Amino acid sequence: MSATRLSEAPVPIGESALSEEDRARADLYALFARLFYAAPDLALLDSLARHEDLFGADYVPLGQAWRALARAARNVDPEALTLEYDSLFVGVGKSQVTPYCSHYLAPTGRERIVVALQDELRDLELGRIGDTHEPEDHIAALCEVMRHLVSLGSDDQAIGRQKQFFMRYICAAYIQLTDEILGTAATQFYKDVARVMRVFFDVESQSFEMV
Amino acid sequence: MDKAKPSRRNFLIAAGATGAAAVAAIGAKTVPQPAATSQKEDGKRSGYKLTEHIRNYYRTTLV
Repeated sequence: MSATRLSEAPVPIGESALSEEDRARADLYALFARLFYAAPDLALLDSLARHEDLFGADYVPLGQAWRALARAARNVDPEALTLEYDSLFVGVGKSQVTPYCSHYLAPTGRERIVVALQDELRDLELGRIGDTHEPEDHIAALCEVMRHLVSLGSDDQAIGRQKQFFMRYICAAYIQLTDEILGTAATQFYKDVARVMRVFFDVESQSFEMV
Repeated sequence: MDKAKPSRRNFLIAAGATGAAAVAAIGAKTVPQPAATSQKEDGKRSGYKLTEHIRNYYRTTLV
């Protein structure tokens, strides 16, 4: 693996260089990375429930979807969510929804996409460390890369890099991914997660078209 | 700054994508820190940490 030792402490986002909206975007990407990495624990659920009004009024789609997620976080059992996450994304060979975006990007040739992604991450000086074995096209990993790219700055070059990565690996995948989550039975919390993600990525797509 | 930027910013703000930095308080610090620490290593390389193996995570937490 490319990286050697890293401190355990999360590195704060460069606050001075980031505009307010980019900080919020980085935070949202971090949250999606977290929620698609594993089911939320009680502390995260409490935190979500306490921040219902974070994204504006109900007439703004992001505000509406967010509010629903915050409400869903109120009375949900973390252990049940762990099972929900597991049955949705993890079950070996029988998960209901694959979280690997290359699956949605092309009917065949998934390996080529992952290899291209690995090359791109190498160019960005990013890579897996430790004994990580998950392919890099997991939606949690892609969101984590976006969080990193957004946190690098709000200048045109940084936004260009974000746009390129988003358009290549997330844009053509997220609609089907969120549709599949919304189409499964017996999940509630992750449907609300999927709705927020869908709305946020819609906003991202449209904003990148303005660059 | 190019000309397109103000309209993109305005769009993001109108879309509500300026939700306070409180999301950081929500997401990133409540663990297990899924990924990414990006930092200088010997001043020349930014390290990056992807997720732990998800199934391993489940083995350790599910029971």
